[in-house]
Amino acid sequence: MTSKVETKKKINLSITNPKVFDAIKLIIAILIALAITFVLLLLISNDAVYGLKTILTGPLQKSRYFGEVITRTIPYAFAGLGCALIFKSGAFNLGAEGIFTIAGVAIAAVATTDLSSMAGLHPYLCVLAGMVVGAILTTIPAILRATLNINEMVSSLMLNSVYSCVSLYIIRNYMLTTTTSTIGSKDYIQSAIFGYIYEPLKITPCLIILLVCTVIVYLIMYKTKLGYQIRLSGTNAQFAEYSGINSMKLSIETSMIAGALFGIGSACQLLTQTTFFQPDKSVAGIGFSGNLLAMLGKNNPIGVVISSFFIQYLEKGTNVLYFKDQSVPSEIVAIVEGVVILLISSQYFLRSFREKKLLKDGLEK
Amino acid sequence: MIASVFKMFGSASFWALLLRLATPILFAAMGAFVSSASGIANIAIEAIMTLSALGGVLGSYFTQSALMGCVIGLIVGILSALLISLFSMKLGASPILVGIALNTFADSLAIFILYTITGQKGTSASLKTPTLGSVDIPVLKDIPFIGQIFSGHYVTTYICWLVIILTAIMIYKTPLGLRIRSCGLNDQAAETAGINVNKMRVLALALSGVYAGFGGLFLSLNSIGLFSKGMVSGLGWMGIAANGIASSNFVILILSSLVFAVFRAVSAIFSTNQAFPTDLVNALPYFAVIVILIVTGVVKRIGQRKGSNDVVLGEVRDKHRH
Repeated sequence: MTSKVETKKKINLSITNPKVFDAIKLIIAILIALAITFVLLLLISNDAVYGLKTILTGPLQKSRYFGEVITRTIPYAFAGLGCALIFKSGAFNLGAEGIFTIAGVAIAAVATTDLSSMAGLHPYLCVLAGMVVGAILTTIPAILRATLNINEMVSSLMLNSVYSCVSLYIIRNYMLTTTTSTIGSKDYIQSAIFGYIYEPLKITPCLIILLVCTVIVYLIMYKTKLGYQIRLSGTNAQFAEYSGINSMKLSIETSMIAGALFGIGSACQLLTQTTFFQPDKSVAGIGFSGNLLAMLGKNNPIGVVISSFFIQYLEKGTNVLYFKDQSVPSEIVAIVEGVVILLISSQYFLRSFREKKLLKDGLEK
Repeated sequence: MIASVFKMFGSASFWALLLRLATPILFAAMGAFVSSASGIANIAIEAIMTLSALGGVLGSYFTQSALMGCVIGLIVGILSALLISLFSMKLGASPILVGIALNTFADSLAIFILYTITGQKGTSASLKTPTLGSVDIPVLKDIPFIGQIFSGHYVTTYICWLVIILTAIMIYKTPLGLRIRSCGLNDQAAETAGINVNKMRVLALALSGVYAGFGGLFLSLNSIGLFSKGMVSGLGWMGIAANGIASSNFVILILSSLVFAVFRAVSAIFSTNQAFPTDLVNALPYFAVIVILIVTGVVKRIGQRKGSNDVVLGEVRDKHRH
């Protein structure tokens, strides 16, 4: 009898434990992706071993590089967090890209307004503007889905294009810069830009905002009634509906939180990486990456932040490599990302190994 | 302004433009239609179009033959569509997630390939590419007005209308079409009736790869033979939107694609007119899709309230599909 209790207490570290299995799957997926990268490097670069080494260790060469990785991780992590919330609820709203852009307009509008009387608060007012615009506009696909059963993927992607055109229109007609010939807003007022909280790595308060938001999203997802409803309707929408969850209210609430996160992410990007807002450049690609990062992190907030860091780390590594070897474009990271995502979202990938082991254990008993 | 709109609808060049701009949407819509008819959603139409467009240009450049470029583009299309079946049917990932992943990373992959071959990230302008070009139809082209509308189009536009007719016959009049549709309606019943559901779905996905591939080739291999970053710009999604409106009715599918194309044509004409703000005119086709989706959604809702059988059946079908 006692021996049985002891074996139960022992943590199962073999492949039969689903968590261990997932971890092994992730590691193997990353190794496969790196192997593919290595093959690609063999094909296109002069020195593949050096290339792979630089991609993996490049960001550690200088503290400045590592600081850049952290700063660049932040907006992507926000995009990933928002998408993870939406995906977790079973919706596939791909509108993050458009929200990042249109929230950028609001952020730029606040950032170019002279609010020197409340200097310390100025960046946070920009963040707030982004949050409000993001929270409101992200609900549109959710409302269309809930009321008219319109596919939220289609509507959100169409809205992305609409927002990008509308942003260009607003910037061109109301906020156009006079100093350069590009289509962009005027320069931000100095007081709107985030200061540094840790000078050597150029860390801004955005990092703290991100950490706080990650904890909040984690708590919402796993410790609140709303989070339970989100997870329930994500796993079984019909069951959620029959157990009395108001799906419309739920999807609107989820989208509002996600939209607010997109808005904060957009502000973190604009007020640390740019000095003026260009609708087609400043935040391009972050929203779409968010969709992938949510998948990469398996819709788990902490996983999303870690994968954002991982991808930005590789991206910086590729940039470092690009300084020395121009034959390797930074898009190679997207291939790593794509391979890892496809493999870890495949339920049957490596499953036969686990089943064999389970079968063997069962027979031994 | 209203007068100018009427004048526009009366001109042959507008209708010719409409036919041209409708082509990629029609291809995309058929791609989405065939796969969803078999019961597996292919939302990676946009990605397949991008990759085929690039494959077509590179194939055409390396073989110096537009026809070979076309073949290579279609093969790329089929292979990328089969990636969905590999990951969703063989490896158990959700086809929607696979689609999102493909859509998001197709652009980067295309730029990666383009850069390693040409050293440029934006376009393939440095590659001298033979193109498919356009065709004048002998007798038709001499008829005034009608000739202007229907003659002198790109080869792919004519292929498109041929493919539409063939697809309609295939889906509704052949055993193959019946089998594909039965897999979408109720896969277990189809399995019981002795149909190999997986085989049918792989086939349907490959077909949708061909359609989307043609859509991509239309964009890249026509007049100048150029691949540029972001050239698909939502056309694949318009096709998916048309498929959503159609709820497995082929005629509605074609009609809604044409309506989307009308807005593209209007937008293309207005964007050269200084009187309108270009940026907002550019947004028109996308905005129109949303408005049309809302209108059809309301119409369907009203039909449902009246208890129309067709719509109810459509709902049941939709539920089976997810």
